[in-house]
Amino acid sequence: MADLLLSYIALAMILFSIGFLGIISRKNIFIVYMSIELMLNAVNLIFVALGRYNESMEPQVMAMIIIAIAAAEAAVFLSLIVVLYRNKKSLNSDIFNVLKQKDTANG
Amino acid sequence: MDFGILSIIIFLPMFVAFTTLILPFGAKGTRNAAFLTSIVIFALVSSVYYNFELTGFLQFREHYTWISSYGINYSLGIDGFSLIILMLIATLIPSAYLWLWEGRTKGYWISMLLIQTGITGTLFSQDLILFYFFWEAMLLPVFMIIGMFGTGNRVFSTIKVTVFTIMGSLFMLISILYLGVSFFNEYGFWSFSLNDIVQINNLTRTEEIWLFFGFMIAFAIKIPLFPFHTWLLQTYSNSPTGGVFLLSSIMAKLGVYGIVRFVMPIFPELYKEFAPIFVWIGIFGLIYFGIAAMMQVNIKKMFAYSSASHLGFIVTGIFSLNVFGMTGAAFLIIAHAMATGGLFLLVGKMEYDLGIKAIPALGGIAKKAPIFTVFFGIMLLCIVGLPGTNGFVSEFLIILGAFGFSPTAGIVSAFTVLIAASFMLWMFQRAILSDSGNDVSKMTDLNKKEILGMLPLAFLIIAMGIYPDWFFYKIEPTIQHYLLDILQIRN
Amino acid sequence: MDNFLLAWIVLVPLLSSLILGTMYLYSIKVTKIPNIVFSMFALTAPFISFVLGVSFFFRLLENSDVIIYRAYKWLSVDGYDIDMGFMADQLSIFMVLFITFVGGLIHIYASGYMKDDDGYGKFFFYFNLFLASMLLLVLANSPIIMFIGWEGVGVCSYLLISYYYQDSENVKAGNKAFIANRVGDLGFIIAMITMFYYAGSNGFDYINLELGMANVPVEVLSFIGLALLIGAIGKSAQIPLFVWLPDAMAGPTPVSALIHAATMVTAGVYMVARFHFLYDMIPNVGLFIAYIGAFSALFAAIIATKQTDIKKILAYSTMSQLGYMFIAVGLGGYSAGIFHVFTHAFFKALLFMGAGAVIVALHHEQNIFKMGGMRRKTPLVYFTMLIATLAIAGIPPFAGFFSKDEILLTAFGSGEYFIWIIGVITAVLTAYYMFRLLFVVFHGSNYKENRELHSLSKNMTMPLVILAIGSILAGFIGVPLLLGGQNYIGIWLEILNSKALHVEHSIELYLMGLNILAAVIGLLIAYKKFFNYDMSKVPEYTGLIWNKFYIDEIYDRIFVDKLKKLSIFISYKLDINFIDKIVMGISNGFIRSGNVVARLQSANTRMYAFSMLMGISVISTYLIIVMR
Repeated sequence: MADLLLSYIALAMILFSIGFLGIISRKNIFIVYMSIELMLNAVNLIFVALGRYNESMEPQVMAMIIIAIAAAEAAVFLSLIVVLYRNKKSLNSDIFNVLKQKDTANG
Repeated sequence: MDFGILSIIIFLPMFVAFTTLILPFGAKGTRNAAFLTSIVIFALVSSVYYNFELTGFLQFREHYTWISSYGINYSLGIDGFSLIILMLIATLIPSAYLWLWEGRTKGYWISMLLIQTGITGTLFSQDLILFYFFWEAMLLPVFMIIGMFGTGNRVFSTIKVTVFTIMGSLFMLISILYLGVSFFNEYGFWSFSLNDIVQINNLTRTEEIWLFFGFMIAFAIKIPLFPFHTWLLQTYSNSPTGGVFLLSSIMAKLGVYGIVRFVMPIFPELYKEFAPIFVWIGIFGLIYFGIAAMMQVNIKKMFAYSSASHLGFIVTGIFSLNVFGMTGAAFLIIAHAMATGGLFLLVGKMEYDLGIKAIPALGGIAKKAPIFTVFFGIMLLCIVGLPGTNGFVSEFLIILGAFGFSPTAGIVSAFTVLIAASFMLWMFQRAILSDSGNDVSKMTDLNKKEILGMLPLAFLIIAMGIYPDWFFYKIEPTIQHYLLDILQIRN
Repeated sequence: MDNFLLAWIVLVPLLSSLILGTMYLYSIKVTKIPNIVFSMFALTAPFISFVLGVSFFFRLLENSDVIIYRAYKWLSVDGYDIDMGFMADQLSIFMVLFITFVGGLIHIYASGYMKDDDGYGKFFFYFNLFLASMLLLVLANSPIIMFIGWEGVGVCSYLLISYYYQDSENVKAGNKAFIANRVGDLGFIIAMITMFYYAGSNGFDYINLELGMANVPVEVLSFIGLALLIGAIGKSAQIPLFVWLPDAMAGPTPVSALIHAATMVTAGVYMVARFHFLYDMIPNVGLFIAYIGAFSALFAAIIATKQTDIKKILAYSTMSQLGYMFIAVGLGGYSAGIFHVFTHAFFKALLFMGAGAVIVALHHEQNIFKMGGMRRKTPLVYFTMLIATLAIAGIPPFAGFFSKDEILLTAFGSGEYFIWIIGVITAVLTAYYMFRLLFVVFHGSNYKENRELHSLSKNMTMPLVILAIGSILAGFIGVPLLLGGQNYIGIWLEILNSKALHVEHSIELYLMGLNILAAVIGLLIAYKKFFNYDMSKVPEYTGLIWNKFYIDEIYDRIFVDKLKKLSIFISYKLDINFIDKIVMGISNGFIRSGNVVARLQSANTRMYAFSMLMGISVISTYLIIVMR
């Protein structure tokens, strides 16, 4: 039983790492978004696996809530991406840098 | 609990300011309202002056709870020292308004009214947090007035003076909070009232020294003492007339007032112990700024130095630990405020008419504007400390005080008679008297309003020089109280 | 009692000056007021003061007690009162009498001299203010009230010297006078404050100070005496603070007559006499005063021999004569000193006014070598000037002889032979340069034969005559016993405790003869060199003496330039480049470090995410280790 749990967790960690690598290596905002979803689901997987292992319902409830919130988040995120695209005609995340520190004039 | 006269004096200008701000008053309407307010306040202050009893203790107390959970109260009161500064403010402000009569905007007048609230509030506060509140509140309109109506690199000047004073205030705030916490630790309840704070006994010597200098830095920057004076030049030079008038003649004096009101009773031992340092810083400033003023070309910067020089002298007086020095300092506060205030108004007019403030570009004004020159001369002789003006009485007393403190200090401080005379007269020669071929045809002589505004100052300068005792008796008990009860010095 | 009239001696000129000042401003701003109205207020003031002075003189004659009037409490600090008090004793009333008398004559003269000037009213405003200050100085009953008058005199002299203020040279001369005086005032203030602490516990008026001084250690007394001396030197233009006096001739001539001959410069002598109780206790300081006086007398006389400006010659002669007075008061011969102050007031005022008359007649020409032959043109001026010159040179029976003789006798009798010799040499030089002036201006061939002379009004000549009579008679109040006279002045000024002299009559007679001889020698040299001087060539002077020993230049080099450099250093270098740099450095430091930290904010989202991961890993690793 414990071995099985361990492989679930290992899978979740692998998924999480893939997601994270996707965030830091890809420029396209869509792919970044998909990576975030991947990380979210990796966490979900851990919740579900641990809930089953501990025979507790609370993590399952948590997982359901996360799925629901992820749906809401997807709606917000996609609309934001649309607005960003309208402004810059590009989905490259590196060009959205208006908050970057510019060197001040008088040093 | 009725609303006391001091509160009316504080909040009337603010009330008028906000009323005129909301209602559709123009610049003229606001100005008239402001002038009327200053006259009403003068009347109120006069009644306070005549009802003031000849004791050294706080009078006209008002006390309301403000933030009870931290023992912060709205607590007001005045003693002789505040009284004379109050009288000074009430006399100076209507005069200044008469001089600023034409060509100012609504925002200018509203700022002036708000400054007045800040100043009087600072003067009356008997609670450290309340004091801090007014101390900062007083600055905001000043920043507005310099930043919006100043000349030259005004925004930079504003930022400089802001950062300087806020930094000083920060030290003071930390010290105030530390004192509050210490009081709570010792007595188990919160209070920031001056009467309570002075009873703190649980501070170690190191703590006391830190707190003492925390307060002193805030006041030293405001005065300003050497070496915290560099904000002064740009600010005075770039300020509009009203701003520089209030800064030089009233706010700088509030720094001195703060020392006497808070530092002295809270840290009486350290006050005595560090007195030599401050006496000598004062004398050093007196000479240093005096020499610096001699070759200064910009007339407003020159007065800035001259002002700093005299304020150093005032600090010498209040730290001299005897009646002569302290009364002299109180007297010099008045004398200097009137003379410098008057001079800045006069120079402001000159700048307004001619658009220049460099001494070599002036000259020949005496021929063009004789009444202007007469008043200029009176103010100048007061700064120089000529007998027959109140400048002399105060300088004489401070020199006496300094001599009582240490004969060397007395003798060195006597050099004031030489220093002020040399730079002032030289400036007078070049800027006003001699005809140096510059075009000053745009210079106008004083109009009736300006004469009316300047007369009280000139009259008081001379009256206080000829009959000083009449102006002394209200303050002397307070000074005696400071020395005997607070510092516990017996002659 | 009518003691309050004492205050009115000061108040009358003061009020008159205030009225004049207001009227003047009214006159230039609104409608013109005729000169006669100004004259009415201006000329009555010294007259009223003089009458009041005379009334007090007679009261003192009847009853020699000091009359004191306390007007009001001037200052009261710490239970210590200083009154606005006036004191009439023999010394002060004596001073009042001749100040108001000579002052009044100069007023009349000035009303003629200034009649075409636009600032007529202003001039008399200053003039009466000056008179009021001088009278306050003399009548004060405490040093601090005296100081009010003392400074008032200084500032009025500033105003009067820079009267023609549009020319910056005149204002510079005024500044110089005021600042040199202020150096003196510095000494005065220091002396006053030291006195206050050491001797003033009972009260700060002269009577109490005299009592208080008794228990003060002699070192402190010497310090007070020296500090006071600085004040006296500044006001009386002695070495080393004399530089202002020659420049002060920039003012109109009546100003020179009033301020720099008859009144202001004598204030220093008056002060030493007033503090006689102090200087009696410190004879060494007194000797020092006498030496300063002797050197100043000689120094000024030497410079005067080479000057060509008529007013500057007179200015240096004033300084020289003041030197004599300092010799006298320094050696304790207070009455002799005051006597010379008195006679000097007459003949020096006369000299200045005569010079002024010549200057006006020649349309403001001041170089004596461009005058010449004035004897025939202005005989009245010539005769009065001749009398004054004889008086200053010390030829009997004119006024200067008696007072100068008494001073030299004091020097000889005190055993200070060196000072005495300097005094005699100065007497020779005095006669020489004064007769040089007289001969060149009045006797020499006419510089330009046929020029129109400006007419002199009655107002200008009448005072000359009165003063000439005064210059003849003034000496007779102090005729030595030896000549069968009665030294009235010595008796009148008994309160000063002047040092009694014991000189044998025969020696005294020799000395007197020697003084006359000295004057005659000077006269003869001048006669030989300058009588009927050929005016066609104006001599060109060069050298050390003509350049006044370069004292002005030396002062400029040592003090003025250094101070200016220091000032520029402080206000343009030190403050801006050092102190402000520190402050701005602190603020710039914050800005710079802010910039460095802000670089991390690169706006690269992926970078943020990566650093977040790193941070979380580090913290969680750390926590795991700690939890273990």
